[in-house]
Amino acid sequence: MRTPTTEHIYMTLFYSSAMKNFQVAIIGGGVIGSSLAWELSHYNISTIVFEQGSDVASGTSKANSGVLHSGINSPPSSLKALYCIQGNKLFRSLAGILGFLVQWRGKYVIAKNEEEVEELVRLKKVGEQNKVPGLQIIDSKSVKKKEPHVSCHSALWVPTAGIILPYECTIAFAENAVLNGVKVLLETAVKNIKRNDHGFDIVTSQGIYHSEIVVNATGLNSRTIVAMLEEPDFDIYPCRGEYLVLDKNCNNMVHSMIYPVPVKNLGVLGVHVTPTIEGNILLGPSAEFISDPYDTSTSKQMMQVLFKEAKEIIPSLPDSSIINAYSGIRCKLASKQSGGWADYRIQESTAIPGFIHLLGIESPGLTAAPAIAQEVRTMISKYISLKKKKKFMVKKRRLRRFAEMSREEQQQLIKKDERWGRIICRCETVTEAEVAEAIANPLGATTLSAIKYRCRAGMGRCQGGFCTQHIVRLLQKEAKKDIKHLNLKSPQSHLFSGNIREENHDTSTS
Amino acid sequence: MTSRKKITCILCPIGCKIVVQSNGKTAKILEGNKCKKGIEYAYHEALDPKRMLTSSVKVIHGEWPLVSVKSSKPVPKKYLFDILNDIKQTSIKAPITIGQIIIKNAGKHDISIIATRNVKKVQTE
Amino acid sequence: MIHQQADVIVIGGGPAGLAAAVSAKETGAKRVVIIERNTWLGGILPQCIHDGFGVEELGESLTGPEYAERYISRATQLNIETMTETMVLEFTKDLEIIAVNKKGIYLIQAGAIVLAMGCREKTRWHALIPGTRPSGIYTAGVAQGLINLYNIMPGNNVVILGSGDVGLIMARRLTFEGAKVQGVIEILPYASGLPRNVVQCLDDYGIPLFLNHTVVEIGGHERLSHVLVAQVDEHRNMIPGTEKKIPCDTLLLSLGLIPENELTAAVGIALDPTTQGPVVNQDYETSLRGVYSCGNSLQVYDTVDVLASHAQKAGHCAAAFSQGRSNTFKFEKNVCAGKGVTYVVPQKITTYGSIKLTLRAKKPGKKQQLHVKNGETLLFTKKLPYVNPANMIQVTFSLANTMHLSKKDIEVSLQ
Repeated sequence: MRTPTTEHIYMTLFYSSAMKNFQVAIIGGGVIGSSLAWELSHYNISTIVFEQGSDVASGTSKANSGVLHSGINSPPSSLKALYCIQGNKLFRSLAGILGFLVQWRGKYVIAKNEEEVEELVRLKKVGEQNKVPGLQIIDSKSVKKKEPHVSCHSALWVPTAGIILPYECTIAFAENAVLNGVKVLLETAVKNIKRNDHGFDIVTSQGIYHSEIVVNATGLNSRTIVAMLEEPDFDIYPCRGEYLVLDKNCNNMVHSMIYPVPVKNLGVLGVHVTPTIEGNILLGPSAEFISDPYDTSTSKQMMQVLFKEAKEIIPSLPDSSIINAYSGIRCKLASKQSGGWADYRIQESTAIPGFIHLLGIESPGLTAAPAIAQEVRTMISKYISLKKKKKFMVKKRRLRRFAEMSREEQQQLIKKDERWGRIICRCETVTEAEVAEAIANPLGATTLSAIKYRCRAGMGRCQGGFCTQHIVRLLQKEAKKDIKHLNLKSPQSHLFSGNIREENHDTSTS
Repeated sequence: MTSRKKITCILCPIGCKIVVQSNGKTAKILEGNKCKKGIEYAYHEALDPKRMLTSSVKVIHGEWPLVSVKSSKPVPKKYLFDILNDIKQTSIKAPITIGQIIIKNAGKHDISIIATRNVKKVQTE
Repeated sequence: MIHQQADVIVIGGGPAGLAAAVSAKETGAKRVVIIERNTWLGGILPQCIHDGFGVEELGESLTGPEYAERYISRATQLNIETMTETMVLEFTKDLEIIAVNKKGIYLIQAGAIVLAMGCREKTRWHALIPGTRPSGIYTAGVAQGLINLYNIMPGNNVVILGSGDVGLIMARRLTFEGAKVQGVIEILPYASGLPRNVVQCLDDYGIPLFLNHTVVEIGGHERLSHVLVAQVDEHRNMIPGTEKKIPCDTLLLSLGLIPENELTAAVGIALDPTTQGPVVNQDYETSLRGVYSCGNSLQVYDTVDVLASHAQKAGHCAAAFSQGRSNTFKFEKNVCAGKGVTYVVPQKITTYGSIKLTLRAKKPGKKQQLHVKNGETLLFTKKLPYVNPANMIQVTFSLANTMHLSKKDIEVSLQ
């Protein structure tokens, strides 16, 4: 065993000269992979992340409820409970460290009638076993005091539940990881993995890389990755959740999350009502087992069911309030027939040392992410000595946007840089300076969605009606992108087919 | 060769469907019109349909990449795509003023293509 | 921050804002300023490169940019100031406007304000079209701007949902630029655009119009690959079994316009839920004295000619208000949409004299009788041979000051 000093010299020599050799390779740039990348970036090791999408959080990590769960929904002593509670605690400090927004709005699990109260009592018990603090069963009058628009018989109040923007924290994790030396390759799919003397050869769509450790954080694709080296002993059961997004003018209808008691009837979803940090309301998710893990389509039927059930909880919900609909897919380890519940599998392969699998990381996956990252770091430390970096950088995401600043602050920014005075997104009041900063992101993501998720341009009422022309113009100018290569959100989602008049001309008059 | 055509009159919101019989040289209104104006419209539409043509021409060194243009007068339908092809092959240097003739004798027909917008020149890189 | 004063501030430099500003200056307002968010004046007009503008008003059929230039030149002649690339962030009940551009934050005290912010387009989610969320879906106006202003082609194989004029115009534009337009899909039993456009944009090019149809699903994993189109019944519900798949790479949505009134609502001005514009009186004054509304942010207009005439009145009254010469309210009567009428603008009448109303019929009809009544008193009546929701009806009548008005509202009806 090499001493820490000589090992450090060996690693520095070996890794600094070769750009394709890394100590840790993370496959998957969702919230799990990104929070792990950030965790590892604290240490003097070389890490690379392969993400097949055009940005981090381009899959399920952006298409969920954005909830930081308390832990009442997972069986005590399960990994889900353990990591959820640890993660919930970690997010309390992470928000401040990395500068993303979290609001601890709390949750009411509501019972419609006397019978459902039993379930509230059961949940409270589970919660207490999981050491979730502050749980209280309260009557409908007390709920009405805080949530005048909500109808119920009684409710379980869960103060430690919070809301977050899942794409925002994933971007914060990933961009800060890059700032501290992690390499992130977007639009890079892993095609094959082979073993070698020092670890692994990873064949990607952007060339061959080598690493000592491979962490499989691919969610829906995890079985495919496992199968590259060994026979998988599990299946992934994609389970789709559809959502409806409601207009901001509904935002004062609920303050906390409102979840009905988990449902026994088939056909009834038990629709959750979740306020978002930006002031919208989310209705959903549904739960539909599907065969295609990439089928994120939404259906008219489901939209109607979601809205109908939401109206039972909030009778005064206006009919014209829907502004968007989306769906995300859970990577379940248990089939519908078996009841659909399975615990996380966070384990190193028994046959292949250094091949670490993170399987079945569905809800409360977002909450659990930083806790899982710490667990994986511990697993990696068995192989690689982890020395904390002396110089560690943090770039906090701007907590307040131009739209949220005082007039004096706005005036001062414009004086420094006139781009703060040009409004690009009218609905969300996003300035050219903020768009330019989003375009110049350290990951090099230049899709329209990448810009949208970083500065919010395009997320308002007109859904890009005004800002699209300006963002396209800025992407051409600042990111030097050719319009044929401008994409919406993924490698083949090209926005345009070309110019109507070609740029270079032979014939010209006058 | 005589043929029958149903022409939708566009002079007022009613949009009468007027049936016209024509041999290419003369036309006769058979039925469908509710007023006299419709007869004249259907007659011209059957024998010599014309359309105002609007499109865009590539601009060189302008504040905008294109200048909107129109035909100097209504264009016989059969020449529309000839003229459009001419327009697509042309580019014009800024500055451009409204009314400026961009193409004379477009498509080899006695029709000009005129700018409908002012486009300032920008400094080249 | 930059403090300024102006007699009349016009928010929006499109056709309504330009007409209002010109009229305000001609009425005698000293400092008239147009605040416009784009770098150009004319609003949506510069991208409307087709002709048909100004036929009633100017006796000529101009293209959008040419029509805009008439007003822009006149505004320049009259020394109307313009602040382009400037966004109004809010205005207060005291008529102070807070705007921002590259020079800084402006606080401008206005004598009167004209709201001319125009409108935005309805999106896919207004129709709640399910399916995937690929690239290649554009509202017709955005596609028009991309092509005509920015030299960008959205796609090559197009389906257009909605037969309003923008959709029809774009069918032709795309065809001219080499795209294949598979068809225009319209949920109603009739086209909502002008017959002229159906002929000159669809019939001329053999582009089919599918009436009583709608898009029920969008498909395509990353870029649009197809839409599912189905027939609807008289209640606009899908008829099962009529679904047809149309391969395409571009879907243009021409679903209608929504007046932009974020600024208006923020200051508490009363909005009409049907028009989605402010409640105004015959001077186009809103519920906040000194604030006037015109153009598409007041109501969605069919032609720029009618829009301009109303905007001129709004600008004139704004100027008069800023000079302390505005009409006092003699009375305040609500104008309501009665049988057969969807909405009427203005929604209030506060003085005697010549009153101009614009309204829309609930459904198409022939030989309709228009009534304007106050209780049992018939103020005005007219026979209309043909009405259609897509064609705004204009009515002018005189309210004499000898007339005794009952406590009841004024009701406009069609039967």
